[in-house]
Amino acid sequence: MSKVEIRNLRKTYDNLEVIHGIDVDIADGEFVALVGPSGCGKSTLLRMIAGLEEITSGEILIGDDVVNDIAPKDRDIAMVFQNYALYPHMSVRRNMGFALKQRGLPASEIDKRVAEAAGILGLADYLERKPRQLSGGQRQRVAMGRAIVRNPNVFLFDEPLSNLDAKLRVQMRSELKELHQRLATTTVYVTHDQIEAMTLSDRVVVMNGGNVEQAGPPLELYDSPHSLFVAAFIGSPQMNFFEGTLSDRRSLVLADGVELGLGKHVAQPGAEVTIGVRPEHFNIGKGDGWPSQAIVIEPTGSETQITTRIAGHTARVLLRGRTSIEPGQTIHLETDPENIHVFSQATGRVL
Amino acid sequence: MTAATLPGYRKRKRVGRQVRIWAGVALCVLFLFPVFWMVLSSFKLPRDIFTTPPVLFFDPTLETYISYMQRADISRRMVNTVTVATGSGLLSIVAGAMAGYALARIRIKGAATLGVLILMSRGVPPIALAVPMFLVARKLGLTDKHITLILAYCTFLIPYVMWLMRGFFKGLPKELEEAALLDGCSRYGAFFKIIVPISLPGLLSTLIFSVILAWEELLFALVLTNRNASTIPVAIAGIAGDTVNGANWGALTAVGTLTVVPVVIFALLVQKWLIKGLAEGATKG
Repeated sequence: MSKVEIRNLRKTYDNLEVIHGIDVDIADGEFVALVGPSGCGKSTLLRMIAGLEEITSGEILIGDDVVNDIAPKDRDIAMVFQNYALYPHMSVRRNMGFALKQRGLPASEIDKRVAEAAGILGLADYLERKPRQLSGGQRQRVAMGRAIVRNPNVFLFDEPLSNLDAKLRVQMRSELKELHQRLATTTVYVTHDQIEAMTLSDRVVVMNGGNVEQAGPPLELYDSPHSLFVAAFIGSPQMNFFEGTLSDRRSLVLADGVELGLGKHVAQPGAEVTIGVRPEHFNIGKGDGWPSQAIVIEPTGSETQITTRIAGHTARVLLRGRTSIEPGQTIHLETDPENIHVFSQATGRVL
Repeated sequence: MTAATLPGYRKRKRVGRQVRIWAGVALCVLFLFPVFWMVLSSFKLPRDIFTTPPVLFFDPTLETYISYMQRADISRRMVNTVTVATGSGLLSIVAGAMAGYALARIRIKGAATLGVLILMSRGVPPIALAVPMFLVARKLGLTDKHITLILAYCTFLIPYVMWLMRGFFKGLPKELEEAALLDGCSRYGAFFKIIVPISLPGLLSTLIFSVILAWEELLFALVLTNRNASTIPVAIAGIAGDTVNGANWGALTAVGTLTVVPVVIFALLVQKWLIKGLAEGATKG
């Protein structure tokens, strides 16, 4: 096991810089998720850690060693690919034992380790099968098995669950988390699914356009996003946003003149801002709060999502439990002033 | 679709199918008839070959085969053809596959230009190369040797193999090699341990086509060989172009059949490899 340090890392393809000087520290045994929309550079970063992409400038350290010029095979890293990349001509046993054989381990040791990993992953009955004789979920497990038999310094995962159906994905997600709790190997996990990132990791690194937007524990990112981008990216259903100008009456004036009371003193009256409120932070008030009209009521049993319109602006409200609110009914939305996030429209950063 | 239109639709579909089947049969007849004629004629006595109307039922004879198989130059040429075709086929598959892999996967500056240049070399008419090749071979004392013909064939086989295999390798998920690189392989290790085994169907079909191309090649063989390394196509050309005695059609069809049969057997033997999808199951599927 090892820590991973990324220092001022840049990547350029044909004069086009796609990663703009990133710094990330990953502690020994930590599970870090790299999350962001497609094209944000998260996979490129992962592949640079693996040694599959060259580093344009900056440094990557694994343990205490700079690995910039070390071949992938000498970095002692195991990677699980999105499409699994199982060797089609080898049985599950040989797939899992391949890396150990490459390192010249004795056959008895390989057998022991493969059997152990197969036991953990429930693959013991499939060891003699070829990948084409396995289901998607089993192939995914073989890919993980191939990684864990090696007992590597670092695990790298590149969207490993995105090819599974929804139910299997949730199941494999908890298995992955259990596996990490058991092995405690340093892990870097790339995903575009913020739920996966939140549920699995000790720390989430949100990337956007080749930069680190914010890094921190999942709930810290959820509770205090530093930017509009992180606020919008983390959380489902998404945070509600309203654009307008701050007034000196502790309120936000929207473009069409509608005024929303903020219930707290905000600096810089006159500033152009976007305010954000998470759907579950709204309460239904009795006469005060923002007047709005319920449009769609979507109960799921444990909670109810209501789509409302505040003078033409759509807002989503998430209530615990059930509600008697009917479509068309006017409701008043209240929120704790603490739960209102204020972002500058000019910079997108929190104020 | 309503019940009323269903039968009409089905009928149209059935008619379309019939048309396609018969078009296929007609094409097969068109292409196979000359082969059929050649094989049939090879079992006739020379005087029966060009009778009008053609004789379909006759006493088959192996006379032409026996007399030609006994000629030392034909059996020697048969051995030469096998040697040169397999030699150049194998050499070009090894060199061409590795070159094709490099072009498909490794980021080299100017790789695309290089690839196109190599492909363009196939556009040069062989006759333009034959004479310089002969002069070089004579200077080196290499005329009428197997190796000369093998190397000459590689000049057109390697570009061919390279381009076919480049396309094949591009179709494989690159994560396979990347997984191998992380599992402790070098580039060569990943190529030989992972890529080659799963590319066997592609490699074999390319090998077959290369061997067939070399098998039937005439021009270089004619120019570069004389007696010792001469091949069957040269013999056939000699029989067909015999200006003294006129073309011996019996011999021509018999030797022609002998040339085709090994190729057909070879293709049938490796057919099961071609159909089998070895790369199946590598990825999500």
